Amino acid sequence: MKKTRQWDTRKTDYLERMSGAAPYISQGKVVIAENCVNVLEAVIRPFDRVNIEGNNQKQADFLAESLIKCNTQRIHDLHMVQSAVPLPVHLDMFEIGIAKKLDFAYGGPMGGRVAEAIKTGKLELGAIHTYLELFARYFIDLTPRISLVCAYEGDADGNLYTGFNTEDTPVIVEATKFSQGIVIAQVNKLVDKVTRVDIPGEWVDVVIESPKPFFVEPLFTRDPANITDTQVLMAMMAIKGIYGEYGVKRLNHGVGFNTAAIELILPTYGEELGLKGKICTEFALNPHPTLIPAIESGWVESIYSFGGELGMQKYCEARGDIFSLGPDGTMRSNRAFSQTAGHYACDMFIGGTLQIDKYGNSSTATATRVAGFGGAPNMGCDAKGRRHPSDAWLKCGEEFTTQGKYLGSMPRGKKLVVQMLESFGEKMVPGFVDELDAWQLAQNANLALPPVMIYADDLTHILTEEGIAFIHKCENLEERMAAIRGVAGFTEVGLAAKPVETKALRDKGIIKTPEDLGIDRDRANRSLLAAKNVKELVDWSDGLYDPPDRFRNW
Amino acid sequence: MTSKWEKFQQRSFLESNARTRAIGLVDSGSFTELAGPRHRITSPHLPLLGEAVEFDDGIVTGVGMIGKKPVFVASQEGRFIGGSVGEVHGAKLVNIVHLARKSYDKLLTANPDLPEEKRPAVIISFETGGVRLHEANAGLLAHAELMDQFQDCKGKVPIISLIGSRVGCFGGMGFVAAATDVIIMSQFGRLGLTGPEVIEEEMGKDEFDASDRALVYRTTGGRHKYIMGDCNILVEDTITAFRQALQEVLVKPYVEIATMGCIGSLKKVQSQLKLVDLCARVSPKDAKDIWKIAGNDNPDALTDMPLDVFLQTVKHLTNSDQGE
Amino acid sequence: MSKQLHELIFELKAENPTDFPVDFSHFGVVGSGDMEVIIEQKALAGAVRIKIVSPVTGYDEVWRRVLERFVNETGIANASLEINDNNATPVVVSLRLRQALSEIV
Repeated sequence: MKKTRQWDTRKTDYLERMSGAAPYISQGKVVIAENCVNVLEAVIRPFDRVNIEGNNQKQADFLAESLIKCNTQRIHDLHMVQSAVPLPVHLDMFEIGIAKKLDFAYGGPMGGRVAEAIKTGKLELGAIHTYLELFARYFIDLTPRISLVCAYEGDADGNLYTGFNTEDTPVIVEATKFSQGIVIAQVNKLVDKVTRVDIPGEWVDVVIESPKPFFVEPLFTRDPANITDTQVLMAMMAIKGIYGEYGVKRLNHGVGFNTAAIELILPTYGEELGLKGKICTEFALNPHPTLIPAIESGWVESIYSFGGELGMQKYCEARGDIFSLGPDGTMRSNRAFSQTAGHYACDMFIGGTLQIDKYGNSSTATATRVAGFGGAPNMGCDAKGRRHPSDAWLKCGEEFTTQGKYLGSMPRGKKLVVQMLESFGEKMVPGFVDELDAWQLAQNANLALPPVMIYADDLTHILTEEGIAFIHKCENLEERMAAIRGVAGFTEVGLAAKPVETKALRDKGIIKTPEDLGIDRDRANRSLLAAKNVKELVDWSDGLYDPPDRFRNW
Repeated sequence: MTSKWEKFQQRSFLESNARTRAIGLVDSGSFTELAGPRHRITSPHLPLLGEAVEFDDGIVTGVGMIGKKPVFVASQEGRFIGGSVGEVHGAKLVNIVHLARKSYDKLLTANPDLPEEKRPAVIISFETGGVRLHEANAGLLAHAELMDQFQDCKGKVPIISLIGSRVGCFGGMGFVAAATDVIIMSQFGRLGLTGPEVIEEEMGKDEFDASDRALVYRTTGGRHKYIMGDCNILVEDTITAFRQALQEVLVKPYVEIATMGCIGSLKKVQSQLKLVDLCARVSPKDAKDIWKIAGNDNPDALTDMPLDVFLQTVKHLTNSDQGE
Repeated sequence: MSKQLHELIFELKAENPTDFPVDFSHFGVVGSGDMEVIIEQKALAGAVRIKIVSPVTGYDEVWRRVLERFVNETGIANASLEINDNNATPVVVSLRLRQALSEIV
């Protein structure tokens, strides 16, 4: 006789939990802020997998502050699955025992506390991920049972407007709701009718108007006043030696001053080189204020963003031919889609890093901070599933000497993955090392592997103040290591370079110095920047860019 | 083939180092540096603290011409320990003013009818946080000596301040600048006493959030100072704009220049005291409250509007606003 | 227990020396991570004498390499250099030295 198994336990469990919350829900799906803790205690069970919007930029901070007020007898040992843990409250949860396990992608300012919590046994680390990888697991083995999200507006039916800074919300809600999970949203404002339905009310169980607007950080704004002459030199090398050389039209810029410098010299140096229309036409990118001059000068045709950027909202809305806008006229963003675009639809990733080892493995991990890498590993790797060609991808693939190792005679393209760094960082900290600090972190924090942001086999170019190493052109590991030494300046790694070897690599075109590229070092200074400070960015945007207070110096 | 001086003219004042400003503010090729790097008069104190020294101790001093007028120049370098005043720095600043006054005496003794256009002036491009804490006593002494020199210059040598550099003009140098005859600023310049971080530290973040730069500039920046009447002239951020404003001031009769300062007469002091009364009466929460009282109906718009529009439409705080 | 500034002195000779053309020159600001340099003519039989004063110590070899490269690339000869350093990286040092020379043109 066939034993009967229940096949709808997800649904029955959902109904049971929601019945506990029912007394607090009125007018459709609305719960008042005062009852938030009650609702959380009603719907969450110990050991649940819980997502809390811990995005790169926006934070469901009211819900986090409420979760931490829950009775630890009732709620404990939660398994947190979230993109980022940038707020102190995210780590406080582990301190008091409400949370126990963590799977995430980015720790940012809390990286030190993550390491500490692992050491003291308060935090059990599942794994560090890259964003898209984590989103993927939301659908397979890390599905949240409860998701705590945030939105600009919500109505009594549960419809949410996530607006210009949508980020991860759609992917979180879909994964949660379609496995019969519970979605609770904090909104800045309860309205009669949302500006645009970004999340349909059917997918949302509770809407709470929070006492103050959710926290958002302007992470992608860089003040041009802080860009150095050296960064300008490296930007010139990048544009002439890589962008122009390969005809890179579709790309992502890892956030930082190095790429901000590139963005700001497109209208000046890029223009001189006659590269408009040939490079930097399509971006998977957040709305970087430093890209405004290039956009205004006609370089960019389209940008799809992971999220918004504080202060850029009006500018984006006024540039509907470039940014994604909904039918309502306000901006739309989506981290899952933009990360996918960065992986498959872009021909190059370029960004900065803290350390590169003698083999070319790159990491921003330090011995005591589990900072995670965000989206870089996803965009900074060869997209092996890619099949469509582009000039840049084909050229890089042709140059990739060890391509044929397992492919035989089969040709294939390759994504450009570029890391930019000065051979010495601030206070003479070497950027090139024998062994990454990541090894020590792996030991300190009990990690299965040293956390690497970009692996040497995905890396194609290293750009320092000394020049560009085209490491994908190297015949073997030995030659790669020599190429790296050749651009590692006067660090210990660089001092081990043999001048004869370096010269040979230059002759082969594997190393190109600024001189080899025909770049006049005397021109490498701030006067080449299309905008030298935040005010000039505002002027370029005709006053549409409204910088957050911390960037205003007038 | 443009000369270096010509290139300097179009440069951002904010971005220019002390030497560039000194050279660019006076007539082309006329600047002669005194007690400059060549003389290597570095701080005797900093090495004992393991701190790097600079050959000019963070200030450029010298003499140039604007038209027929000898101009005694001091230009502070904010990138060297925040442009702070140490022993050598302070001595150079005091002595360039002293030299200006001695020159006046010498010239007028030789020719009592010397026309005004040939009489010396002092210009100071401030970029400083005030006293250099590493050399606190010497720094403080320099402030006192400088005020003393200013007194000696009264009735003789006009002293003009130019404030438009990154560090602004703070600390004791704030009141030193306020004691000069004319203050020319750009919107990027700042003039105050206690620095924003110290205010936050003393009074708490709720009272003053130093990371809120917009707030800092509303409180000490050029636009606000212009509305308050603490700065006489607001110019664009180029060396040539500052130079032009300087030229316009220097052709005025000294009698007129001497009336342009914030202090120096009973009437002026009373005016300042009225401001204190206003503050007590109104308890402003933000500079915008004062801008409104000054007659600006839309204070929110004042920060971002283009400078030329600002200068055309903005209302200053006047005596009548301060009320009785 | 007083601190001090550290002094380093190098005497180098370029492979293809060119006499330093002016009596005195100066460049730079001693900001954090930066440096200034005085370059003066000095008869040294084709050599260059470089003195560095710095709050930081332990980078003698790095300074030597940076300066050797500068001297060989530019051929500067019969000159005395005095540097006030404030923890400048080799990138910044090379940049400032080159900028100092191009100012002289």
